[in-house]
Amino acid sequence: MRLSLRELIRRPGRFVTATVILTLIAVLLMFLGGLLDGLLRLSTGAIRAQTADAIVFSQSSQASFLRSRIEVADRQAIASADGVDEVGGLGVVLLGARVPGNGPRDLANVALWGYELPPVGVPAPPAPGEAYADELLRADGVEVGQEVLIGPARTPIKVIGWVTDTAYNGQGGLWADLGTWHQVLAANRPDAMLPDGVVQALAISGPGSPADVVAAADAATGGRTYALTIPEAIDSIPGVTEQQNTFNQILGVTVVIAMVVIALFFALLTVERTALYGVLKAIGARSRTIFGGLVVQATVVTLIASTIAAALVIVLDLLIPPGSIPLYVSVGRILLSVVLLLIAAVIGSAFSLRRVLHIDPASALGSST
Amino acid sequence: MFLAFKEMQRAKTRFGLLIAALGMLVFLILFQQSLQNGLLTSFVGAIRNQSAPVLVYSVDGQRVIQGSIMTPDLESLVRSTDGVAAVGRIGQGTFSVTDADGELTDTTLLGYERQDLGAPSVLVEGRYPSATGEAIGSTNDADAGFGLGDTVVVEPNGFEITIVGLADDVQLNAGPTLFVTYDDYVAAIKSVNPDAGDPLPNVLGVAPVDGTTPDQLVADINARSTDLDALVRRDAADETPGVAQVRQSFQVIFLLYGLVIPCVTGLFFLIITFQKSGALTLLRAIGAPARRLVASLLLQAVVIVLVGYAIGLAVYTPLSQRRVGGIQLRFETPAVIAWAVILLVLGLASSLFAARRVLRIEPVEATTGGANR
Repeated sequence: MRLSLRELIRRPGRFVTATVILTLIAVLLMFLGGLLDGLLRLSTGAIRAQTADAIVFSQSSQASFLRSRIEVADRQAIASADGVDEVGGLGVVLLGARVPGNGPRDLANVALWGYELPPVGVPAPPAPGEAYADELLRADGVEVGQEVLIGPARTPIKVIGWVTDTAYNGQGGLWADLGTWHQVLAANRPDAMLPDGVVQALAISGPGSPADVVAAADAATGGRTYALTIPEAIDSIPGVTEQQNTFNQILGVTVVIAMVVIALFFALLTVERTALYGVLKAIGARSRTIFGGLVVQATVVTLIASTIAAALVIVLDLLIPPGSIPLYVSVGRILLSVVLLLIAAVIGSAFSLRRVLHIDPASALGSST
Repeated sequence: MFLAFKEMQRAKTRFGLLIAALGMLVFLILFQQSLQNGLLTSFVGAIRNQSAPVLVYSVDGQRVIQGSIMTPDLESLVRSTDGVAAVGRIGQGTFSVTDADGELTDTTLLGYERQDLGAPSVLVEGRYPSATGEAIGSTNDADAGFGLGDTVVVEPNGFEITIVGLADDVQLNAGPTLFVTYDDYVAAIKSVNPDAGDPLPNVLGVAPVDGTTPDQLVADINARSTDLDALVRRDAADETPGVAQVRQSFQVIFLLYGLVIPCVTGLFFLIITFQKSGALTLLRAIGAPARRLVASLLLQAVVIVLVGYAIGLAVYTPLSQRRVGGIQLRFETPAVIAWAVILLVLGLASSLFAARRVLRIEPVEATTGGANR
C-alpha cells in the first residue's frame, strides 16, 4: 500500500497520461450529467413546483396540457368527490414575448400559466394583466416592473416579481391568474380558445395519499378525465423519459470507456513492472499486496482526476452565460460521477489481477531491474 | 511483413479480441450514424420533403411551425411582396388520434391549401387527397396503424380521416404524421375544440416567380417586416429548434467513440511491444533494421483496423435497413467511407507510440537483459 503511494508521489510523471485521460472523461461525465439535469429542470420545473397531489387531464389528451379540456361540470364533480378537498384550474400557452429594449426579432420564449393553487415559491395569483416571471427570463432581458408583449397579438403583461425553477418545455414560466391566461389564449391562439370556466387541467389535493386522490378524481367523472400523480405527470411530459434514457446510455458508455482506459493503463503498468513484481514476490510480497497497491493507485489517480474535473465543470458553469447551455451542476451529480468513476477504476484495475497472480517469483532470478 | 502476419497467426486470441472490440465499436458508430440521420428525418422530414420552396413563419414562432401564427396583416405583406408567384396556407397541430389498430397516438396533422405548396413532393403509393377526410401518411408509420386505406379517428368527437397516399420520410416531431387539405385541418381543430375561433395559418408556403431564386425571395420577404421569418425549405428543416441539439449530442457520442478507438489500439500495441521487447531487441541485435520492425507493427495496425471495420460493417449492413421505434434507418454510404478513413488514420496514429518505443530499442541491451525496462 505504502509502496504504491510512494511511487505515485515520487514518479508522478508515470501517471500523468492516465490522469489526463481520466480527467477528460470525468469532465465529460459531469458535463453530460449536468446537461441532463439542466434539460430536465427546464422541461419539468412547472410541474415539479406543483404543491397539489395530482393533476387531472381530459380523457383523450394523452396528458398534454395543450390538448386537454376540463369542462365546468367535470370540475364540479371532482371538487365534490370524497377524497378531494382542494381543486385549482391550470392552463398554459407557449408563446414568444417581446421584451422592451430587445431587437424586433429577439423574442423570449415564455410559457404563460394561469393558476389558482400557487406552486412552491409562487405567490397567490396576481391581479389581471400581471405575472410572476421565472428567473430564467432574466437572460432574455426581462426585468421586474417591465411590460412584456405576449404573442402575435402583443398582449401586455406586467412582470411583478421573480420565481425560481418553474420552466416548462424549455421556456421560462410567466405565472398569471386564470382570467389573464384565458385572455392571452383567446387573443393569440384562437384555435385553442376555451370558454370561461373551462380549463386545460386541474391541480387537486386531498386528505389521503396521492394515489387515493387520483382514484377519487377518476371515479368522479366516469372516465371523462384521468388524474396523474405529480411524478407520473412529469414522466408524461413528451421527451422527458426519452431524454433521460438517451443521456443515461451515453453516461453508461462514458463510464465503460473510463473502465477500459483504466484497465489498459494498469495492464501496461503491470507489464512494465513484471520484473519488479517478480523481485517483490521473491522477497516475500504477496500477490494480494501487489494487486492492492494497483487498486490504490487506480483509486488515487481517479480521485485526483475527478477533483480536477469537478473544479473544471464548476468553472465552466460559472463561465457559461445564463440562458445558453442548460447546464445544472449539483453536488449530487458530481458525487454520483465520482462514485461511478471509482467503481470503474476498481473494476478496470482488476483486469491486471490475473497478470499479477501469474508472476513467478523465480523470474526475479537473472532479471535486471 | 512475414513477421507481422506470423505473429498474428500465432497469437490469434489476442489479436482476435482486439479485432472484435474494434468491430463492435465500428458497428456502434455506424449504427448511431444511421440512428442520428433517421431521428433527424423523423423530426423534420415533413418540412424537408414538402413541396413549397420557401416557408414563411412569424417571428413569434421561433421557427416552430405550431408556434408560428400568420396574422392577416402578415399574410397580406407576404402576398404583396415582389417576386411572389403563389402563396399557400399551411397549418399544423398535434392531435390525439385512434389509429387503425385502435391505439390512441399523438399524431401531427399538417394542412396544406395548395398541393404544390405544402403537400409531400412525391408519393410512393396511392394518390393525393381529393375529398373531405382524406390524407397522405408516411411510409414510416404504415405498419403502425397508419397504412394505405386505413381510417383513423381524431379524438375527441370522432373526426375520421382515411389514408389514400403514402410518401417517404414525411414525419414531423418523430411521430405519425398526416398531410390533409387545409379545410380538413380546420375541421379537425373545430371537431376537438368546438369553442375554437377561426384558426390562423401557422406558416405560408411560397413559390417565387420565374427568374427569382428562393434565396432572393427569402431576402425580399424578410425585408418587408421584422415580424416575418422566411426560410428556404432546407434551412427551415435544419433550423428547426432541436435539430442542432440532436446533431451536437450525437457529435459528442461520436467524439467519445473516436477517442476510444485510438486509446484502445494505442495501448494494445504498447502492451504487446512491451511484452515482446526482449524478442525485438534480439531481432535488432542480429541485424533486423528498426524500419522493418516499425513497418511490421504498422502493418498489423492496418490489418486490425481493416478487419475490425469489415466485421463492424458486416453486422451494420443488415441492421441498417430496419426500423427502431418508428425511426426508419438507412445504410449511410458517406458515413461508412468517412469513418473508414478516420479510423484507419486514428488507428495508425495511435500505434506510432509503440513504433517510437521500437525505435528506441538499443540492440546492445540484448547482452545486458535490459530490454524489458
